[in-house]
Amino acid sequence: MTGGGKLAGAAAWSRRSVVAALSMAAAGGCAVQNMRDPISLWAMSYEGDYSPMLMPAFTRATGLPVEVQTLPWTAAHEKLLTARAGDSLPDVFMLPDGWVGEFALIGALAPVTDSALLTGLFPGVSAATGPNGQPYAVPWSVAPQVQYYRRDLLERAGYAAPPEDWDSWRRMGQRLKARAPDDYAFLMLLNWWDTLFTFAGQTGARPLRERDTRGNFRDPRFRDALAFYVSLFRERLAPPALSTEVQDPVAAFAQGYFAVYPYGPTLTLDLHRRAAELPPALWSTARMPGPEGPGQVSGIAASLCVSARSRRPAAAWALVRHLTSPASELTYQRLIGTLPARAAAWDTPQLRQPALAAFAEQMRDPTREPMIVEWERIRIEVQLIAERVVRGQLGIDAALVAMDDRVDRLLAKRRALVETGQLA
Amino acid sequence: MTRQERTAWGFVLPVLAIILFVFALPTVLALALSVTDYSIYALADWGALRFVGLGNFTDLLTTPLFWRALGNTALFALLGVPMAIGTSLAAALLLHDASVRWKPLWRVLLFAPYVTSVVATAVVWRFLLNTRFGLLNRALGWIGVPPVDWLGDPHASIPAILLFVTWKIFGYNMIVFTAALAAVPHDLMEAARLDGASRWTRFRHVTLPAIGPTLLLAAVMSVAGFLQIFAEPYVMTLGGPAQSTTTVLYFMFDEGFKWWNLGQASAVAFILFLMILALTLVQARIGRRYEWL
Repeated sequence: MTGGGKLAGAAAWSRRSVVAALSMAAAGGCAVQNMRDPISLWAMSYEGDYSPMLMPAFTRATGLPVEVQTLPWTAAHEKLLTARAGDSLPDVFMLPDGWVGEFALIGALAPVTDSALLTGLFPGVSAATGPNGQPYAVPWSVAPQVQYYRRDLLERAGYAAPPEDWDSWRRMGQRLKARAPDDYAFLMLLNWWDTLFTFAGQTGARPLRERDTRGNFRDPRFRDALAFYVSLFRERLAPPALSTEVQDPVAAFAQGYFAVYPYGPTLTLDLHRRAAELPPALWSTARMPGPEGPGQVSGIAASLCVSARSRRPAAAWALVRHLTSPASELTYQRLIGTLPARAAAWDTPQLRQPALAAFAEQMRDPTREPMIVEWERIRIEVQLIAERVVRGQLGIDAALVAMDDRVDRLLAKRRALVETGQLA
Repeated sequence: MTRQERTAWGFVLPVLAIILFVFALPTVLALALSVTDYSIYALADWGALRFVGLGNFTDLLTTPLFWRALGNTALFALLGVPMAIGTSLAAALLLHDASVRWKPLWRVLLFAPYVTSVVATAVVWRFLLNTRFGLLNRALGWIGVPPVDWLGDPHASIPAILLFVTWKIFGYNMIVFTAALAAVPHDLMEAARLDGASRWTRFRHVTLPAIGPTLLLAAVMSVAGFLQIFAEPYVMTLGGPAQSTTTVLYFMFDEGFKWWNLGQASAVAFILFLMILALTLVQARIGRRYEWL
């Protein structure tokens, strides 16, 4: 494995630099102290919780201790921004691909200079880039959205697997609803944008236009996606619920409150942990349906970045190299269900489980999303307007106008900067 | 300057310096920020910063969500202040009655929610308010009321959060009122009773004037508190459903810390400051009319 050799090389480099510092500076003691100082790593959710389990191997190989902090997804964006403003970012941190452009713009990230880190990626996976087109992040895990479905419930409604096109999928929902009127067919939480943007991505709609300076939500293809999304709630096939209302989706899935749950790969960990409630034989995964068949879906791919202000960039990159090695990614797949971004990891028997087949197929067909600072906010605000349509406060066409208006306002500053040429 | 004055300044200066640095200076800086378009682009490059004058304020006036946030906050304050103070006063009056035993125990139990963590209790309350298996809906079911979608219906979300907030904070003012009630002149009460004044008349003409200043203080603090309500909607509903619990402070937090539009957020902070100041002045004037101040 090349990963191990590189690790040792990086460690030697940092040791050499420490020795140099020792001989040059009278305050050599400080440098030794720095060496003992742990490298800091911030990661979100399970990736943060389980990171310490990947560290003993790294510390053994390099002698560098690592201190991990977990951030909750709901507060990660503001925490990282304030850390950048206060110049207290950790050496290494995880970012979803959609945020990389933003953090590169504000000078928080060091560019990836070692091209070996970006080779051997799974087809369809690529490094997120900054405004200048340079890569700033090393892909770590991929999380396309698929649908988790209850095999027994679908079988009773006459389906071996969920249909692949929108109309048949909705018909399946109607049949499920007819069999159990108090329950629902789908669970799509109303404050999460992922399913709406999956539907939109599958129509081929481009959400922004004019060099990503204006909204393009009045596009008929986006209208189709929104109309389909809203119809699932109007026909009461999905409950109009927020994430704060469904406290335990796994329990609700086990009870049959809904039969189909579009979600990312980490749900497999929860489902395996709670196999007593819902045996593995009763659920499976499939690609999300598209207008005419499966297509591109949204997802949260995670990358690792190194802070531009890291005092020990060599050690930080060594940690990135360790965490994104096929061996670490396979360990993580086993521990928390995230899917490896390295192609080599996919050649192992561990990833040939049937429940992962849908993810592997979906990963070959990723979406290309606008890499602009405002994108995260645009998705959230568009989803807020979609929520009002679902609740009957707004018609579909009025909503599309409202989305374009809102997005144009959010992009006003970007538009001004692009027009004056201050932004590429 | 006499020696006494010098000593006085010596005591006051450190405090004044702290107030200047942690209060006055940030306020002035925030005011300065509110006339710029400071955003994430300015974090990247100071060259992108522009002076926009009152642009942020006029912008806010045309932002529908800001108006909705103002409306939601007003609703929180209009319903919440009477609800919270009423509950506090009622609990204090009940505990004040001579026939109540184990008073310290009751006081501790009723005050306890005030010192608990918002996040932990919010999790419990989200379960209590759950539409399908929440205790509240089950209790309503016994008296024949159909289930209410407390946190999912845009019309029920504010009352649901107010239930939680009232439960959480009424203990504080209850203790304050308990202290005030103890100071109500006993002989005056006896005299009123001998003169045949009813329970309500005694409350209206003896108790209320005596606790007037305390009531005013509680009202001022509660209004300021409810206008700045943030943590409860943040942990209970994330501002939803359909932004029906997004308050002014929540809007400011999102703009400022989540999206780094600190120019816009400072403008919101300034407007909120003026609102609280204006309301407090009105309350002070009312207080002066009744000679409570």
